[in-house]
Amino acid sequence: IPMFENMFISLWEFFYGNFFRYWMKWILRQMTGKCELQRIFDTYVGAQRTHRIENSLTSSKNKVLREATHVTQSEVDKCVEDIMKEKNINPEKDASFKICMKACLLQISGYKQLYADVENERKKPYDSDNLQHEKLLLKLWSLLMPKNKLKARISKQWADIGFQGDDPKTDFRGMGILGLIHLVYFSENYTAVAHQILSRSNHPKLGNTKVGYSFENCEVKYKMRYSYAIVGINLTEMAYSLLKSEALKFYLYNFVPGIPTMEHFHQFYCYLVYEFDKFWFEEEPESIMYFNLYREKFHEKIKRLLLDSNVAL
Amino acid sequence: KGLLSILRKLKSAPDQEVRILLLGLDNAGKTTLLKQLASEDISHITPTQGFNIKSVQSQGFKLNVWDIGGQRKIRPYWRNYFENTDILIYVIDSADRKRFEETGQELAELLEEEKLSCVPVLIFANKQDLLTAAPASEIAEGLNLHTIRDRVWQIQSCSALTGEGVQDGMNWVCKNVNAKKK
Repeated sequence: IPMFENMFISLWEFFYGNFFRYWMKWILRQMTGKCELQRIFDTYVGAQRTHRIENSLTSSKNKVLREATHVTQSEVDKCVEDIMKEKNINPEKDASFKICMKACLLQISGYKQLYADVENERKKPYDSDNLQHEKLLLKLWSLLMPKNKLKARISKQWADIGFQGDDPKTDFRGMGILGLIHLVYFSENYTAVAHQILSRSNHPKLGNTKVGYSFENCEVKYKMRYSYAIVGINLTEMAYSLLKSEALKFYLYNFVPGIPTMEHFHQFYCYLVYEFDKFWFEEEPESIMYFNLYREKFHEKIKRLLLDSNVAL
Repeated sequence: KGLLSILRKLKSAPDQEVRILLLGLDNAGKTTLLKQLASEDISHITPTQGFNIKSVQSQGFKLNVWDIGGQRKIRPYWRNYFENTDILIYVIDSADRKRFEETGQELAELLEEEKLSCVPVLIFANKQDLLTAAPASEIAEGLNLHTIRDRVWQIQSCSALTGEGVQDGMNWVCKNVNAKKK
């Protein structure tokens, strides 16, 4: 029986996508005298509006409309005019169309551009021969440890801010320079919070309250503490995957009226760091070894929040 | 009815479960190897805080692979995962010569562990895709692998990034699953 059900659903999808949708649109057009895009502007606001406009454009049979989702900023005005010509929209009868369409197109193509920019940074590996990279890394140290001097570039001290070994460069891995940019961005813009998180995640007392295992001489103080830097890099990965899977669309469409930029993406990362820290200590994991379990739980929580088209974080 | 009984028979003969422990220093490539085994995307791997676990079907076995973070701070936790291990896979970054001594020491300590006694060990000489990688033979000599007498062992050069050599290693694993000397 489920097989027939599936067949029915795919048949319906086929006919809907190829015929019914266009008949419905035609009928509605005759009744209201407006095209689908105009009807969306009449009915929806915020992320829902942009999202529906995007779907309408993407599934359009018209090449001008389909390609509009990839428009560059400098060509957006011309693109809106082209759409109005294609759809026979009279600028005097519908004065707001031009403004609304432009705003939507900037958001839609801006999201794609943002992903391209983020991917570009992620793909750049940390390079010790690059002076800028090195400067940024040392800046991270001085932001987080203003009172302690780093004794050498290769040093066990890096573990104090949560890197794994004595040279942080290997920890950036799949996140590349983006991981470092994020760590510095958070530490620079939320220095007090960063210090608090760092001292809490290094706090021997707090790290000692729940002892999951009974073996001794085993550096009990590390029980609950998480490594600030590598957890930060893990959260960069989370922010990146959410952007890539388009899960950030509702949030960015609601939050940014025009083109979303790197700055907005970094802000979202900061939100994740702040919320994860709260989450971690509320959940009271019994050991740092369960990090990935809680990371996944947190990830699900964030994904649920982002599914709401009215999302605001 | 005939089909049902066949299905029931299939169900009653499940794959043998194998517990594989994946250890090594941080940045050795354990998580990349794990994801390569599970045919997952390896392009945005991050340092492992804690552990990852994945199950992979292979040659009639259900391989439960535990990938434990390698950072010095959490190495004390490794021993929590020793129990009932069928195979130990130890991963080495063949290009990180500066840490050969450290990785050799960690391996030697693992081989001393009572709970891991007689457990077959596969050493992956990873990152052979890098020009500066030391060949497996050099690593075997440096680590004095030939002195291991209490268990079966194997060193396999590989690149978790390209997948080269990984399957050869896993074939060895499947052949030696039941080779625990008593």
